[in-house]
Amino acid sequence: MAEIIFKQRAGCISCSDGDNLMQVLLDAGIFVDNPCSGKGLCGKCKVRVLSGNPSVMSDTEKKLLKQEEIVSGVRLSCLTEVSGHMEIELLQKEGQHKVLTKGYIPEFDKDSFEEGYGICIDIGTTTVVTALIDLCTGEELADASMINAQKHYGLDVLTRITYEYENPENGAEKLQKAIVNSINGMIEEVCREAEVDKSKILEIDVAANCTMLHMLLGVDARSIGKSPYKPQFLKAQELFARKIGIQAGHGTKLYCLPSVSGYIGADIVAGAYVCRLQEEARNVLFIDIGTNGEIVLASKGRILCCSCAAGPALEGMNISSGMRASEGAIEDVKIREKGIVLQTIGDREPIGICGSGILAVVKELLATGIVKKTGVFVKKEKLPETDYRYPMIRLNGTKRELILHKEPELLVTQGDVRQVQLAKGAILSGFMALLNKAGIHMEDLNKVMIAGQFGAHLPAESLIGTGILPNAVKDKLEYVGNSSKTGAYMTLMSKKVKREIEALAERMEYMELAETENYERIFTECMIFPEI
Amino acid sequence: MGKKEEYLKRLSDGVVEMEEDDVAEACQEYLDAGYPAFDGIMGGLVDGMNRASQLYEEEEYFVTDVLLCSDAMYAGLDILRPHLPDEDGETKKKGVIGVVEGDTHDIGKNLVKIMLETAGFEMTDLGRDVPLQKFVDTAEEKNADMICMSTLMTTTMGGMETVIHMLEEAGLREQVKVLIGGGPISQKYADKIGADGYSANAVEAVKLAKRLLNII
Repeated sequence: MAEIIFKQRAGCISCSDGDNLMQVLLDAGIFVDNPCSGKGLCGKCKVRVLSGNPSVMSDTEKKLLKQEEIVSGVRLSCLTEVSGHMEIELLQKEGQHKVLTKGYIPEFDKDSFEEGYGICIDIGTTTVVTALIDLCTGEELADASMINAQKHYGLDVLTRITYEYENPENGAEKLQKAIVNSINGMIEEVCREAEVDKSKILEIDVAANCTMLHMLLGVDARSIGKSPYKPQFLKAQELFARKIGIQAGHGTKLYCLPSVSGYIGADIVAGAYVCRLQEEARNVLFIDIGTNGEIVLASKGRILCCSCAAGPALEGMNISSGMRASEGAIEDVKIREKGIVLQTIGDREPIGICGSGILAVVKELLATGIVKKTGVFVKKEKLPETDYRYPMIRLNGTKRELILHKEPELLVTQGDVRQVQLAKGAILSGFMALLNKAGIHMEDLNKVMIAGQFGAHLPAESLIGTGILPNAVKDKLEYVGNSSKTGAYMTLMSKKVKREIEALAERMEYMELAETENYERIFTECMIFPEI
Repeated sequence: MGKKEEYLKRLSDGVVEMEEDDVAEACQEYLDAGYPAFDGIMGGLVDGMNRASQLYEEEEYFVTDVLLCSDAMYAGLDILRPHLPDEDGETKKKGVIGVVEGDTHDIGKNLVKIMLETAGFEMTDLGRDVPLQKFVDTAEEKNADMICMSTLMTTTMGGMETVIHMLEEAGLREQVKVLIGGGPISQKYADKIGADGYSANAVEAVKLAKRLLNII
């Protein structure tokens, strides 16, 4: 029998000797940052043990902590086992996330309704956005957003699918329950705000990636997690909302938009439709940047698409001082002769760096020549001591790192730059592979549309300055916001849109990057940073 | 410095500097001048690749650079290898390498293979999305000393544990070391499934393999 008490909060948790500390905390509903899902890789799930006898620290854990942290009792909760009576201090607070709920809506013919309301939903792996629509006017009456409650089962799509593998008897059911509960909560919220009786909701339309759609409908998503990554369904789905436990009217219909493949989901089809790629005569590229970067290219009457594994670096994960975009996160950086200027979300003291911040830093490192185009830091000994860059670089053995902020110490390491380089290589190589397939050049592109939660926070200068997008498209960028939700709004308002979006999904040609000839070469070339 | 040493330096530098064409040309000139292929490989190409690994370890070089260095090395090997004397019964340690079933991401695995080959291991590359049984069958057939598995996806990690069980069932576990790596893999996971070792990158993998197989 073991027991944990906290410095900051009342109450205690009872558990067994030998239990994993992080699991115990998560099960008790306590926030612990764990981007790697407790694998002992990221070093983020820190707590301080004030008293008690936790398990002995392993070499893996020592490597992930600083010497002064070890001395002051800091432990990684995922690598610590509970024993006896322990008192711990929690070191993290869950930050407020910014959620993008709006986006560009093209002109389109709406069906005419006599009465009633509708709901459109975008289920992202990280955030969920819901809006209540007056069907008669097409007006949005209220919206709500929240973090996807499935995060308890893993932060990314693959970890949640792994959860299904590990819990074959009820994994899919638990994941479904989590998202359905969230949706019910949000429907309740928007209806209360607009003073609408939820039984008057006629239809709910959902756009999401393919895995999220499977998990919403309670369909086994395991096959998406392994090559050949084949989903159980791709087509648009229509059913009664109550069938999956959504609480609205008895006859409320649920419509899920169609997908193209396991990694090009309805969210991307919706985005492509909102950007009118289906009727595009020019060469237009659509890109949604996130842990997976999805890219769609309309050219010469064909619509090609691919998905690339960019990894979580661009969302601030896998970065030594990284964090998600919430208060206190550095979101912009300028490196000047006078010093380094930081801008944080909410103008707070910096506590870490989020995705847009890490991209801004890398752009600045390249622009100032601190990092060369191969991605390596300049050698400190090659700079004169009078150079303004000299004091910014610190040597850690032979490795160089940038001191971004002194107290608390925030660094940008060579490894961090490499993580950005991998993400950049993945996205740009997908981009290049599509252009090659369509037989066109970068210069031939007329427009690049940037969609999604994360892309909206990336200014053109960061995207171009780090070479995620090539210089040739610099003046052709357009931001379209949450086009996934907009797509669901449009299908809700028009049967014709539904049919057109289904036709578009059929038409989109999916390209598996790993199967592309010479992909490794393209990827390698795409990792080189641009010349400044 | 004698003429031969000059050639070896040119080969080694050519690999480090990723000069594929120059390495190929230099190898031909080296052979034409009558020097032995074996020394050209070990003192020139492999020496260069070892320097590249060193730079990778120091974080000077990255995956990209090392892949380009290996292109140069293989271009040279293509020219020198046919001129090697017949095998003198030298016993290289053997390994089987691949990306586990269900995953098609193989750039990391390719890098590990290159480094192990450079370090003198005889590697059989099963590629990606490899059926689990094939690791065991190939290890048995080749009389391998180790199996190296990687994956980038959490969904396919479990396959590594299955391979270890299969090795046990086939009575091969004692003679085959199991090394694992890849994005979601950690020492914690290696300990959990009973793998012999985990390495975070390709250079570490060579050190690990040498340690596990008692090579100095």
